[in-house]
Order: sequence, then structure tokens, then C-alpha cells
Amino acid sequence: MSAIPQADIERAIRTTAATVLRNEHYFSDLDGLAGDGDFGTSLATGFRVIDNEWGEIDKSNIGAMLLKISMLVSKHVGGSSGPIWGTGFMKAAMLTRGKEEISLDELAEMLGAAIEGIQARGGAKLGDKTLLDALIPVHETLKGHCAAGDKAAALKDCAGVAEQAIDETRTLVAHRGRASQVGERSANTPDPGIVSIAVILNDWCKEFGIANTPTVAEVVNQPA
Amino acid sequence: MKKFVNDPAKFVPEFMKGIALANPDLLDFNEEFQMVTRKSGPSSSKVSIVQGSGSGHEPAHVMAVGPGMLTAACQGAVFAAPPVDACYETIKAAASDAGVLVLVNNYQGDRMAWDMATEMATAEGINARQFWINDDVAVEDSLYTVGRRGVAGNFFVMKACGAAAEAGASLDEVEAVAKKVNDNVRSMGVALTSCIPPAKGTPIFELGDDEIEVGVGIHGEPGRRREKIHSADAITEELFEAVSSDIPFKSGDRVAIMVNGLGGTPITELYVIYAKAHELAEKAGFTVVRNYVGEYCTSLEMAGASLTILKLDDELEKLLAAPAETAARIF
Repeated sequence: MSAIPQADIERAIRTTAATVLRNEHYFSDLDGLAGDGDFGTSLATGFRVIDNEWGEIDKSNIGAMLLKISMLVSKHVGGSSGPIWGTGFMKAAMLTRGKEEISLDELAEMLGAAIEGIQARGGAKLGDKTLLDALIPVHETLKGHCAAGDKAAALKDCAGVAEQAIDETRTLVAHRGRASQVGERSANTPDPGIVSIAVILNDWCKEFGIANTPTVAEVVNQPA
Repeated sequence: MKKFVNDPAKFVPEFMKGIALANPDLLDFNEEFQMVTRKSGPSSSKVSIVQGSGSGHEPAHVMAVGPGMLTAACQGAVFAAPPVDACYETIKAAASDAGVLVLVNNYQGDRMAWDMATEMATAEGINARQFWINDDVAVEDSLYTVGRRGVAGNFFVMKACGAAAEAGASLDEVEAVAKKVNDNVRSMGVALTSCIPPAKGTPIFELGDDEIEVGVGIHGEPGRRREKIHSADAITEELFEAVSSDIPFKSGDRVAIMVNGLGGTPITELYVIYAKAHELAEKAGFTVVRNYVGEYCTSLEMAGASLTILKLDDELEKLLAAPAETAARIF
């Protein structure tokens, strides 16, 4: 079965919140290498609200739930991450209005729409050393799994691709966000946005009982 | 710092509550979204006009809600864009079959919040559009902007659009009015002192006792240059030259002139500036048809002023003269 019920999406969001909260200082420390060191705290501030208000969030359908998440993220995640992550959730929400389950194809469409929205909002493109450098290859990988429809295999491959993105972008110079202001100094540091996507997908594998062994240092070394 | 403040975190909802209590027949106040709406609500046959930005610029923008002006407005914290959900709820509260025009001053935070809110409202089936205001000639890019900042000229956009909507203009027509005003209005400000956001408790920038910041932004952003203070006339000449040379305005133009106080300057000093600005306008061959002297877009208690000139035509003159009732009033 390739259908993804709303309950799984709820689990994924709660797992994401737990991941972000556990890695608050770790993500900020990574950001401090080239950026302004607020990424972990900014993200955690927003996801802490989602965690605390989880019971009151409208879960009548996937779209309604994601729209509320989008608003909470936009409102409470600090800095530029708020509108960027919030836009991602908003675009996903718009494609799932009234739905209580989605197919793998629909998940790929949601991610595609989220990527387009994030690009439009922040102006970044592939190779600018932002979280898009993880999301875009993950989207391609996800699309490749749609025909076969094996959710577990898709998630495992996506987690692997996101991990690779950390290594593939490590030597790049950031062109967007605060890290772009330090120019060459951003080379040879991992982008915390990319790391966060890899860590979140790795934690989704754990949550859904999918065997996945991380190999890239930033994912291996995340706090337990 | 000496201020009339209880808890700095409650400063915005407390002053908004005061505005609502002082205008019980005119306004409703929603504390959760820091939103003020017209008591009469939106009209299904008329375009609604909304705006929202950081607090600290009053009477812009919550005090500009009322018949003939805005339909609804929301406020963020002092100098911080309102959150997306407040913007979204404000558009929803103003939803009209005739459409909603969102007037946004050109700052990145405000634009992002209203972009998202407008997209969300559109997905809900509300016919909403945005228009960006950028009248400040001081600098091309600034601390919080790509492109020029939106400042006191915003008042004319709100007033003209509000009047056009009240008269039954379509969304396209109201948007065209916004564009016409924005294309023909220019402003620049000067600061004599900094200002103190209540939650910060200290001045947002330092300015020497004998210094002025020419071209200052309404959040204390740097302007064109810092100078030693000189006479009111010399400062007014500097502002007039910068503003009037920008479009440029030309001899024979019919204009509205606004001298706007930034929050900490007495009205008498604003009239000293107005007298010189009026004289300079006549000398340049402009006909001053309307004038505005007072506080329209402030920066907390900053001492300073801005000069705005708007080129008029018959349509704009009529729209500016149309009646409106808002919390900002002088009688």
C-alpha cells in the first residue's frame, strides 16, 4: 500500500518537532560556524509552540492541519527561517485541502510545491548552499519511487540523499542567508539547513521502523 | 528611560485597547490578532482596504481604520512586521465580494507576511491583492528593504484608495488609484533625536546633541548623511530639494504638501517647516491645493519631521477631499 494516512503525517510532524527541540543547540552551533548562530534556537522556538499547542491544532484534514502548522511556523520561528519553512508547509497545505490520506505521488507534488514556494520566497536556487540543496534531490528521489510505491524504500533513499547533500555542498560558498555575508569563510562548513533536513529524515526512518545507518558526520554526531 | 508603560510586552495590545475604547462607535478590537476592524464591517459591494505593519508609527495604521479609509488593520510588535496569521485574519475580516486591496509599505518583513497571508486568503477564495508603497527618496536600499522604503506618503495612498472604494470603484480601479498616488508622491525625513522602543529600553541609534540624520527611516534606519544641525529653513530647503527634484515635480503642478511629525516634535516647529516649504513650493511654481501638518506616520518619540509632496490631478483632489472618519482626528 502506498497510501499515507493522516496519522502518519501527524507522527512525522511530531517527530520533526522532537528532532528540532533535541538539536536546538547543535543546529545553532553548526550555524555559528559561518552564519549568525541562531538557526537552532529560531527553529526550536517555533516547533516548541507546535509541540505545546498540538492538542488544539485543527486536525479535521491534512490541509487544515498543515495550514495551521504553517501559520505557527511563520509566526514563531525567528529570522528568515519562519517565512521560508512556513511557506513550505503552506504550499503543502494547499494541495491537501480536505484530504485525510495522500498517495506517494501526492507527497511528491507537495514537496515540489513547497520547493517552488521556498524558492520564490527566499530567492535561492540549487547550489546556493541552503536547505533547497537537500530538498531538491530528495524530491527527485521521491519522484523516482512513485511508480513502485514502496513508502519505506522511498523514505530510506530520501534520507540517504539528504545526507549526501551535506557532503556535496560542504565546500561550496553560501550565496543566500546570513552565511553569504561572510563569503569564502562559509566554505568547508556544513549548511545547518541541509543538516536539519538530513537529521529529520533520519529520525523519520527511526520513527517508522525503517533500518537506516547514517554515515555523514553531522548526522552521526547529532545529540542522542 | 521614562515612558508611560506597564509591561513592555503588553504595550501594543494596551494602546490598541485604548484606541478601541475611545472610539466605541467606530472600531472593534481583536486582541489575539492585534487587529482593529470597522464596526460597520466590510461592505459586500465595496472594495475593502487593509494594512498592517509594526507598531510605533501611529496614527498609521490602526488609527486610519474607519469609513472612507481602511476597513481593517493589524499591528505587530513595535517595529516588527505583524505575524502571518494576523495578516490572514485581517484579510478574512475585511473579505468582500468586491475584493480586498492590501496596502503594504515596502519592508521585507511586512512583504513576506502579507505575501503569505494573501496567498492563503486567495486559496480560501477571497479576491485579495497587494500593492507596495515606496515613497521615501532618501536611499535606494535600506536596512530592511530592497528598494525604497514606504513612509508618510502611505497616508495619501490609504486616503485616496479608501475614498475610491467608498465611492464604489472596482478592485482594478482602486489598485490604479494606489499606483497613481504612489507614482506621484515623494517623501524624506530628518531626525533630531533617536527613539526608544519600550521593550528595548535604550535608543535604537546614537545621535550627538548637535547632529541630525538627514533621510532617516521610520525605524531609525540610516539616511543619506549625518550633519551638524542648522536652521529650520536650511533643513527644510534640503528636504524640499531632495523631494521635489525626484519625480521631478515641475512648475505649474498642483500639489498637496505634508509636514509630518515623527513623534517628538511640537506642532509649532512643524508649522515653521511648513511655512518655508510652502514658500519654496510657490517659488518653484507649484500650486499648493491641499496641506497637511501634524503626525501621520511617526517613529515613537523621535524628534524630527518628514516632508511629503504629492502631485495632484482632478481625480486625486476629489478623493483627498472626500469625507472619512477615523480614530485620528483633531476636533
